[in-house]
Amino acid sequence: MSDPLQQQEDAAEAERPRQRYLLEDTGFDEVPKKYRKFYRKWRGAADELAPNEVICPVCKVVIRSSRELRPGDRVYCMPCMSRLVVVRTEQGTLEAHVAY
Amino acid sequence: MDVHDLEPEQFLEEVHSFEFWFQAVEGYLSGLTWGHKPETAEVPQTDLERDRLITVLCNYCVGETAALEGASGLIGFAPNRQAKVFLSTQVADEGRHLEVLLHRLRDLGVAQPEAEVERRASRSILLFRQRLLELVASRDWEAAIFAQNVILEALEFAVFHSHAQTADPITREVLQGIIKDERRHIGFGENELGRRLAVAPHIRARLGKVKSELDHLVLDALEETMLSIATPQDERTRIGRTYLESVERLGLVP
Repeated sequence: MSDPLQQQEDAAEAERPRQRYLLEDTGFDEVPKKYRKFYRKWRGAADELAPNEVICPVCKVVIRSSRELRPGDRVYCMPCMSRLVVVRTEQGTLEAHVAY
Repeated sequence: MDVHDLEPEQFLEEVHSFEFWFQAVEGYLSGLTWGHKPETAEVPQTDLERDRLITVLCNYCVGETAALEGASGLIGFAPNRQAKVFLSTQVADEGRHLEVLLHRLRDLGVAQPEAEVERRASRSILLFRQRLLELVASRDWEAAIFAQNVILEALEFAVFHSHAQTADPITREVLQGIIKDERRHIGFGENELGRRLAVAPHIRARLGKVKSELDHLVLDALEETMLSIATPQDERTRIGRTYLESVERLGLVP
């Protein structure tokens, strides 16, 4: 059962416009050039993710979006060809789950 | 346009295409010779370190040969065009992996690499290869994809990643190139099976049997490898966990 406080926060968040991000190539070279800015290497447990980033649970690459991510968003991991859905964890952070 | 705005069908069409593969590998393979930068220099190794590395690379060669033979056989009964085209790219990847690893063995002074692979390969990885090819010959799509692209590829992905962190510079570059290819292979396997399990959950029991029969063979071979490259215990545990996470997502852990 989801936390009512979290539900309120999610509802308030949904009202707020999403923050936009200008993505730049970070040197990730495992996808064709036109897609490279949407991915970066994960630097391990100490790597702090931005609000527009989630880790792919299959191949551990950081997936980036041009807008702030929210629960329910769909993202794609091109390096491992996975379709994912963003969810909020019990700790309040965002993570991606594979949607087969 | 944000790539995440693609429709799911468009995404699948794109990432399974030969064109996508070609542009992806061009990004990290162009300029390399035999899987590494031509200017990367060999560093001195003791006779024991070199001998251990040769044994490890021989076992990697068996795994890559198994995947090369397996992937090429799978094309014949892949269920759709996207899977066939993807597997054709995997065949090219596996052929390259085998070639660069055999070349690395030559660099290390092995005069007849293929004979050395036969002499040094662990019994368990040879047995795994035999069973994988039997699954392919029986045209069991789900079992063969599970054995090849989940069990073998996920464990190789984790071990190569760990080995690359401590390897000599040339071996590290060779392994890093292979890891980039392996991301596609593990993703294809997990997603293909995930889609099939969603519509035919009864397959899960059969895959559970394949897992019980085969994953210890790869785990045994990799345990030998990790001892040879002196992988710390916590890293060995992490490697096992990477594989388990994948089978857990597919609901194959009892």
